[in-house]
Amino acid sequence: MTVIMHEEYSVERDDFANAGTVSSHIKETLRQIGINPKLLRRIAVASYEAEINMIIHAYGGKVTMDVEDNGLIRMVFKDPGPGIPDLEKALTPGWSTASEKARELGFGAGMGLPNIKRVSDEFNIESSPQGTTLTLGFRGTA
Amino acid sequence: MSRKSVVTYTLSRCVKCLKCVKACPVSALSMAHDRIQVNQARCINCGRCIQACHNKGLLAKGSTLEDINSYEYTVCMVPSAMTSVCSTKQEAGEIFYAIKQLGFDEVVDLSPVEGQLMHESHMLAEADENSNGISSQCPVINRLIETQYPMLIDHVIPLNYASEVMAKQIRKKYPDRQIGIFLCCECEAKLALAKYPYGNNEYETDHALALVDILPMIRKYLHQGTAEVHFARSGLQSCNPAVMMQRDDLLIADGFDKVNNILSMEEFGLLDSFHMMYLFPCFNGCIGGHLLWGNSYLSRNNLDELTRGDSRPDSAYPIEELYAEHIASSQDDPRTLKEKMEYFRKVNEQLEKLPGYDCSACGLQTCRIMAEEIVNGNKTIDDCRIHHSMSLGKDGRK
Repeated sequence: MTVIMHEEYSVERDDFANAGTVSSHIKETLRQIGINPKLLRRIAVASYEAEINMIIHAYGGKVTMDVEDNGLIRMVFKDPGPGIPDLEKALTPGWSTASEKARELGFGAGMGLPNIKRVSDEFNIESSPQGTTLTLGFRGTA
Repeated sequence: MSRKSVVTYTLSRCVKCLKCVKACPVSALSMAHDRIQVNQARCINCGRCIQACHNKGLLAKGSTLEDINSYEYTVCMVPSAMTSVCSTKQEAGEIFYAIKQLGFDEVVDLSPVEGQLMHESHMLAEADENSNGISSQCPVINRLIETQYPMLIDHVIPLNYASEVMAKQIRKKYPDRQIGIFLCCECEAKLALAKYPYGNNEYETDHALALVDILPMIRKYLHQGTAEVHFARSGLQSCNPAVMMQRDDLLIADGFDKVNNILSMEEFGLLDSFHMMYLFPCFNGCIGGHLLWGNSYLSRNNLDELTRGDSRPDSAYPIEELYAEHIASSQDDPRTLKEKMEYFRKVNEQLEKLPGYDCSACGLQTCRIMAEEIVNGNKTIDDCRIHHSMSLGKDGRK
């Protein structure tokens, strides 16, 4: 296995004005490459949700995307905290800790992580007060 | 389904300003050998290039009235968008009368079918719990999704255009006659929904007429008589976003940029709370079609008057008469991921060398397209005018 493309992006905390910029960039890049639309849709949905989570819940963070020659597209969303106190609850559909401000903007319906898990082929999340790392893998007819 | 572009180019009127090339939302236009080229596979018939040309170098022309003479019996179909230019039912009656005087044996109002299709669209969208539906009544939207938003192809409601549903019924009604079916068109895209003049033989409609072309003839017969008209309210409503039924689970938008914005949001799955989306690339919906006369804001007011009072019921054709797949499922790209990545890398490598102004001076819309053409072997870096002038010495020589 070799990584044939590596991209890095950063996400700022509470930067609602630019919410979706990173996932739009990821979507556009993969579209230009010519990734299959069905696979791309799943990646688009997951990356948007994960990016919004970093803006709303975390102190911003870094996003990396690797395309491997075996067809796997891996994305890592790594933030520096404050961590998810109860991961099990966070993975329950409808459960949300989003701030009032976020809810007013239409975010925070509590479907973020469950949705990401639903559309991704590999899903791993690790969280502590020092930060959360969400690793997603996608494969399919590229 | 149709792949023909309705855009025709008049070389003598072209001043080579490249406005049309820049205006195209899908990069279908380019200039090569001092001529505008329309890429048939990309063109979505939105007409933005035609609007952008200040010199009428680009046009979309329909059939002419002379074609009526080729048939034994002729029927003209009138969409609600055309009815909307009439301020009263009385005036609409006069226009329908005038159209018949052009030489048609029958003039058919499409509003009952348009109304039925709107309701059936809702039903289909509501029945599908997994995803929301996008109305398929605008050929531009269908082509836009097919070429630019293939992720959303499954969302397009598989119902036929009102004109096609009607044309099939008309043909059934007169099985033994040599019948000619004409459609009055409010926009460029609908011109492509007929066999002629663009040769789209898969349609039941024979000829498409641009409304602006027949207007002078219609005026000649105005105020000379009136036809009885009885419109279906929901059909009239279906052609304008402001008078359409408003519901929390409906998303209605008009204007090309807004529609694009909505489609890219839906690619992220952000609009799942809506059952159904009505997207109109034209401002004010179909009543803002470029081939109509008058002002679409006035037409919108006319609709208030025309929808008042008694309404004709929607048509009630069985659902199997309405179905049509608008978009063939996307062709799988035969390249492997490795090959795709390699091509992407080469294009980016060329893109780095280009100025990135997207000035179109080379005849192509963007530097990325230029980079692709260099990789494809159709252009060289010296075809970039900026790159070329910068590589010249002070004396103008290399």
